[in-house]
This record gives sequence, structure tokens and C-alpha cells, in this order.
Amino acid sequence: MLQHLVSGFAAALTPAYLAYALVGCTLGTLIGVLPGLGPAAGTAILIPLTFKLDPTGAIIMLSAIYYGAMYGGTITSVLINVPGEAASVITCIDGHQMARQGRAGTALGIAAIGSFVGGMVATIALVLVAPPLARLALSFGPPEFFALMLFGLCLVSGLAGRSMLAALLMTVLGLLLAMIGIDPVRGAPRFAFDIPDLYDGIGFIAVVMGLFGISEILLAAEAPVGEVVRARLSSLLPSREEWRRSVGAILRGTGIGFALGLIPGIGAIVPTFMAYIAEKRLSKTPERFGKGAIEGVAAPESANNAYANAAMIPFLTLGIPSSPTIAVLMGAFIINGITPGPFLFQERPDLVWTVIASFFIGNVILLALNLPLVGLWAKLLHLPFPYLCAGVLLFCVVGAYSLQQSIFDVWVMIAFGIIGYVFRKLDLPLAPLVLGLILGPAIEKSMRTSLEMSAGDYSIFFTRPLCLGLLIAAAAVLAGAALKLAPSVLREPQL
Amino acid sequence: MKRPLARVAVAAAALLAAAGAIAQADDFPSRPVQLMVAYPPGGSTDVGARVVAAIAEKILGKPMVVVNKAGAGGQVGWTDMARQRPDGYFIGYVNLPATNTVVLDPERKAIFGIDAFVPIINQVLDPGLVWVRADSPYKTLKDLVDAAKKAPNTIRTATTGILSDDHLAILMLEEAAPGAVFRIVHLEGGAAQLKEIMGGHVDVAFDNVGSVAPRVRSGELRGLAVMDPQRSKFVPDVPTTKEAGYPSVISNSTRGIAAPKGTPQPVLKKLEAALRKAMEDPEHVQKMDAAGLALKIMVGEEYARYYRETHAQAKKYTEWAKNRPHK
Amino acid sequence: MILPNRRAELVVLACLCALFGFMTVTAFGYSLRDALGPGAGFFPFWLGTLGMVLSLALFVQSWRGRAIGEGTQALLPRGEGARRVAALVAGLVVVSLLLQPLGFRLAMLVFTAGLLLALGVRRPVLIAIFALASSFGLFHVFYYWLQVPLPIGVLGI
Repeated sequence: MLQHLVSGFAAALTPAYLAYALVGCTLGTLIGVLPGLGPAAGTAILIPLTFKLDPTGAIIMLSAIYYGAMYGGTITSVLINVPGEAASVITCIDGHQMARQGRAGTALGIAAIGSFVGGMVATIALVLVAPPLARLALSFGPPEFFALMLFGLCLVSGLAGRSMLAALLMTVLGLLLAMIGIDPVRGAPRFAFDIPDLYDGIGFIAVVMGLFGISEILLAAEAPVGEVVRARLSSLLPSREEWRRSVGAILRGTGIGFALGLIPGIGAIVPTFMAYIAEKRLSKTPERFGKGAIEGVAAPESANNAYANAAMIPFLTLGIPSSPTIAVLMGAFIINGITPGPFLFQERPDLVWTVIASFFIGNVILLALNLPLVGLWAKLLHLPFPYLCAGVLLFCVVGAYSLQQSIFDVWVMIAFGIIGYVFRKLDLPLAPLVLGLILGPAIEKSMRTSLEMSAGDYSIFFTRPLCLGLLIAAAAVLAGAALKLAPSVLREPQL
Repeated sequence: MKRPLARVAVAAAALLAAAGAIAQADDFPSRPVQLMVAYPPGGSTDVGARVVAAIAEKILGKPMVVVNKAGAGGQVGWTDMARQRPDGYFIGYVNLPATNTVVLDPERKAIFGIDAFVPIINQVLDPGLVWVRADSPYKTLKDLVDAAKKAPNTIRTATTGILSDDHLAILMLEEAAPGAVFRIVHLEGGAAQLKEIMGGHVDVAFDNVGSVAPRVRSGELRGLAVMDPQRSKFVPDVPTTKEAGYPSVISNSTRGIAAPKGTPQPVLKKLEAALRKAMEDPEHVQKMDAAGLALKIMVGEEYARYYRETHAQAKKYTEWAKNRPHK
Repeated sequence: MILPNRRAELVVLACLCALFGFMTVTAFGYSLRDALGPGAGFFPFWLGTLGMVLSLALFVQSWRGRAIGEGTQALLPRGEGARRVAALVAGLVVVSLLLQPLGFRLAMLVFTAGLLLALGVRRPVLIAIFALASSFGLFHVFYYWLQVPLPIGVLGI
């Protein structure tokens, strides 16, 4: 196998393939930066570009676009609090706070480094343990999914700030909003009130762009003009203290991202928020989180890239696409006459190992591309406020529209911008809302599918060991949260 | 506003509009044409769309842009198309029988009827396929049916969506083999089926040839039957339902291009000619072959008739699906 | 303890409670059970109920003097700040209304220029350049390079 890898490297390091990887990383980062246009759509648009290339070249370029886009979303999250796609939402929380303190460069830098580590480790693992791990991950069926998502939901207590009740309220709101649209039971619209635009629910990206990005600009507009970034741009490098804290965060984030990347269908946001919550729980000073803690950026970013690279494992070894973007990649494979799956390693080892080698190279290119540019990006924040404001809003409007070529998404974004503005003023936490919005459909659908599998028998959740284990873990987390909640509810209010 | 001025303005506007309408057919297209796919990027409809668009735009002389409007099993995209201006600049894929079932299911509350679209040309006809994992105990379709009769409502059978062509096909099989009852599990798409079958969470899948042909050929999966009068060249070793003893079970998914009702005839004719030429292009044929998608180009009366017939058949099984006791 | 936001909190919580109530009632109309398990209305019904309980609990808490957060920011800004925020929101609403009739380029041009003016920029040349570059520039990137169809208005722009 090692000799396969070596010959793969030899092939991947040819000027042509290097160029494709470089172009892919650049295009991917740019696509990630543009809000609204997600990696899936962006990758799909660029497929015809690859018609002229040979299959290996095409796949190298498309894969580079894929993980390049993961990083691009981080840039807007940190700079303007606008998450370019689902995976970047958690980075907004601490990343943007760091930017407001003049440390945008540091945030972007640690994000680049964390992404690099995450990607490399995942790719190494891909080489070493791919097939057996992938098969193991297949034992995650709908009941296990349900339990995992439920577990994720119970972790929301970790995101609560001062008021646990408020966090719960926001979670419930998110869950309910997610139920607008076609239901998984009968395929009929719920809460759509005959408005066709609502049949598929309110667009998640539009909501998140509004809640985080638009509200941020509205809040910034209140302060006297010119004071968006109060502190001067300080050093671009993290301090030694911050390095120390980041190391653990990066390693843990990588682990979480990798493990979850193996399970098809999880979605990029779950590993990022689990990594974030893990860091917050393990930290001796959790109150720093939400105010610019570097671990709050390092962990989700490592998780993000580890997830993206790990998700290639079930794809390459079993031919199962884990996410919409990978499904697009699979479409590209198919157009080029290649079917990913267990036989691919045997039939076309040259192709597979060249592509895997290019993953390593791509991660390096990404780091080399983005690290120097960090300073440049950070300077953008120092544009005079009116120009920055107009630019960001323009960006957001075109981004929201480009999601589905629909004005409705723009309206949703604006509405949630105002809602986000109000909620933030009242210290109602936004992250639990987003969590509920994401997990709601997954929980309901997987529960429904599980019951279809068992013909209505609930014991399916308790007779499968993995599922049962996750449910117990969820119950434990909930019990722990309830114990913390009780005293605050019963305590006498101060007058 | 002064009266004469107002009148001149109105007259000018009317003239402009008329001129615009006439000019449309002659110099169509004068700007990019949007080709809508009602499913997410990367799916087989999307793949076919991108291949044909890349070639058709060279023939038309203006870009043809594939636009994904996914959601609600395609309902979002078709609703949108039904509301577009019928000027030929927005056309899209209709997937029969999915489009039919969306219209026919009263609970879906579709705001459009099947007449909201004018069919232009059909691209792909993907026959239904019943498949299992290579190590499954079911070696033939008869094995499966017998097992379903012996233990009704226990065999977990996956579809790619509620009221998809796969769902209707299962009902067709139950009709042809009285006593056989399948435990139907609705998944979302072919990739989900792959995952659940490989993981052993469902036992058999009803899908289409195009989704899994390479894997059936390689032996990774086993095809039990193709729901078509003839065998598929992509999976030549899989018997037809007729050979397996159930000739009435014929099911397929077609992907064709349609325009909103009211699109002028000259524009439709131009689109039909260009798309047809693109589909007959060797590059298109080769790429569709590589993707395992069977071309079946239908235009004019042939496609219109197919359209109507599919609708009638879908109606019957949709009603049955709604009233089935086991859901 | 000064709680500038208390009234706002109470209003928002009451609105949320009403929203939850509405959704609970609507959910009741969808079936709560079906042959296999929870029906379409099951989860929304219980979630809506839980939402009402939570918002009421927070309402009571707030009434008795305990704010949700630190309560350091006034809900509605004063003076200059309020004008700017209002301008931004108005601008966003207007541009969304105008996107399809006027087409992307024109609508964005007007929006950007208007926004810059409302935010206090008084240099017409710079405004013109920035507005033109961003509206037409972004259009070019999205429409031609990325093949995303952006609206073209009645004037054909």
C-alpha cells in the first residue's frame, strides 16, 4: 500500500495536477467566501469546467474546490459574522468577537492551522484504516441517527449563557420553525398556509445569514460611525498562552470531526458544535467562550476540515455520499465514467491513490494560500463603516437570492435579521435556535423512518445496543442539565 | 399628467410590448435560458441536465444555465416553473410519475395541475429495478414475493421517497402477487438506500437502473428484476419482471423537459429542435451511457401521449397508496 | 437594578407565547397519531405547548424583576443610531421590493448609493464609483462567471 501511495504522490506532483489542485483550492475558497452560494451549488457549477480534463484531473480539481470552500466560509464568519454555509455557523460565535477585538488575523490564522491539522490527520487515517472503519460506520442506521441527533440536542445546555430557560426556549423555537414545510409522515405541507415558498420550509442559510450577519450590521450601525473595530489590529500570531490552549482544542476537534465524518448523512454543523461544546465543557474558564476564546475557533475549524476529509472515506470505499456536496462530486465521478465503491481501489488504484495524494497536497496548498492572505482579509475590517456596511449588505442580499433564485429567501433573511437584532438585545441566545433548526428535521425524519422499519414497534430504539447507548448518554446529559437548572428556577429573584 | 402625454405613453408602451412579443420568437434566445431541475445537484436528473445544457447552449448561441430548485420531492421546483412567464426563457425538467403524484395527492395541495406544463422533449427513461445486497437470501424476484406472502409486512422495502415511482411499483407488485405485503420504508434518494442496504437496516430496495447499474454489474449488488418489457443493456444479466412471472409490473421514471403553459409555439419548436440535436449528439450519448442513463428521446404527439398515460396510471396507484392499511 | 429592557422583554415573550399557542392549535388540526406512530401534528403540538410553558415561565421571572440577560443595552437606540438602523432596514426592504421590477443592477445601484448617503458619506464621486462598481461588478461575477441568474428588470438591465 505504501508503494501505491508513493506512486500516487509521484503522479500528483506533476505540474498539471498541481495546477488543478491550486485552481481548485482558490476557486473553492472564493466560493466559500461568497455567502449563499454553498459548496454544493458551487461545485456543481464548476463541473462543466472539468469536462475538458481527464478524469483524475477533474476529480483532483473538484475535491480541492470542496475542501477549499470549507475554509472560505470561515473568512466571512470571522470578519462580518456571516456564515457562508452551515459548517461555519459556530465559528461566528467566538471568531467574530475576536475580530471585534482587533484579532481577526489571529482568528483566521488559527482557523487555517486548525483546518490544516484536521485535514491532514483525516487523510492519513483515510490511508491507514479506511475500509474497516467505513464498514463499522455503516452500522449507524436510522435509529442510531435518531439517538445521536437527540444526544446532540441535549447538549444544547452546554451552549446556554446566563439563562438556561432562555436557551431551552430558543431551542424549542428552532425546532418548531424547522417543522414548517413538507412533513416526513404524509408528505403534506405543515404550517405552510398555502404559500408555496414555504413548502420546503424556511431556508436555513437565509435564516442564519439574517440572524447572525444582518443583525450584526444593524447592531454595529447603532454605535457612532467608525467604531466597528475598536482595538487596533494587534499581532497576527496567537500568544503563547493561546497556542497552548489551541493545541488541545485542535486535537480534540480533529478527533470529533473525523469520527463523525465517517457516518454518512450527519451534516457539517454537527461536528462543529459538538467540538465547540466539548471545549467549553472541558475548559477551566468556560465564561470566556462567546467573548473571543481562541479555542472557540480552533476546535470547530479543525472539526470542520477533519469532517470534510473523513467524509471522503465512505465515499471512496463504499461509494456512499455523505453530504450534498459529495453527492455532486459523485455525479462528477459518474459523468467521467468512474463509480466509487469497494471495487474502485482494485480496478483503478492509479486514480484513487493519485487523488488521495492530492488531498495531502491540497491541504498544504490551502494553508500556503490562506495564511499569508490573513493579514489582507483582516485589513478589510478597517474600511470606513458606510462602505463596509453597504458592501456587506449587498453581499448578503445577492447571496440570499442566489440560494434558490428567489426573493423569498431575501425576505426571510431580512425578517430574521430584525428578529436576531431584537433577540440579541435581550440576550436571548441564538445558537440554540440554530441547533433546533438543524436537528429538528433530522430527529423527526429518522424517528419516522425507524418506525417504518419496525412497523410501529418502539422497542427498536431499545433493542439495538448502539442506539440504546446513545439514548442513555442523552438522558445523562439531560439529567445533568436539570440538576443545574433547578436551583436557578427555585432561587428567589432579586428585586 | 397631461392627457396627450399619457396617451402617447400608453400607446408607446403597447407598441413596445407588441414588438417585444414578435421579436421574441424571431430572435429567441436573446439572453440566457434557465433549465430547472427540481432536485438537488448531483442527482441523476441533474447530471443529465448539465450534459444536455452544455451542448444545447452551443446550438442556441446563448448560455443554458441549470438551476436547482429542490425540495418537497420536486414540488418546490414545479410550483416555481408553473408560475414563470411563458416566454421560453425558463424551462425545466418534469419527472414522471413524480410530477403526476404531486398533482394527484390532495394532501400535497399542489397549486398547479398537470396541464400547467407543455411537454417539449423527453430525455431519459430509467426503468425500475429491484435490488438487494449480494449476500441476500433472495436470489430471484419469486423468492422475494414468496417470502412476502409467507410473512406479510415484515420485509423492509425501501423507496426513494413517498409516492415516488418506486413506491407505486411496490404496490403494483403487491397487486400482481396477492397476499404479498411489504413493509415499506421511505428513504430520501438512492444514496440513502445504498447506505441502509449495505448496513443491513433494510432488506430490499426499489429504485431505477441508472442509480445502481455499475454496482450490479460489478457484483457488489444483486438485481432481482428490471420492470421493463426488455432487459436493460446496463444490467444485461438481470431478468425482466415478465421473465420473472409478473408481466404487469412495468414501472419507470422518465426525465423530460417542459415549459410553462402558454409558451408560444415558435419558441417551443426552436427549443425542441435544439434540445433534440443536443441529445442526439455523440458526446451526449456517450456521457449518458457512461452514467447508466438510458436515452429515450420522445417529442410531439408521442411524448404527449406518454404524458397522459402515465398520469392515468399514477392516479390509480396514488389512490391505492393513500388507502393502504399498512401505509 | 435598572432594567431598561424589561418592557421589551415582556412584549417579546408575550409575542413568542402567542406564536407558540398559534402553532399548537394549528398542529392539533394535523393528525396527532397515525398507524405507525406520531402523526404529522404530534411533535409540533407538544413542542408548541412546551414553548408556551417556557415563555410564560420567563415572563413571570421577568415580571418579578429578573432579566434574562445583563440588560445593558436599550432595545431601541436613540437619535443618530436609530436613524441609521431605520435607514438600513428601510433600504433592505426597498431593495427587495425593487429587485425584480428594476433588475439587479439598477436596484443595487440605487440601494448602495442611498445607503451611503444615509450613512453620512458626502462625496458624490466616491459614492458613484463604489455603487456602480459593486452593483454592476457583483452582477457580472454572479451572472456570467457563476451562472447564477440574477433578475433583469423591465428596462432590460
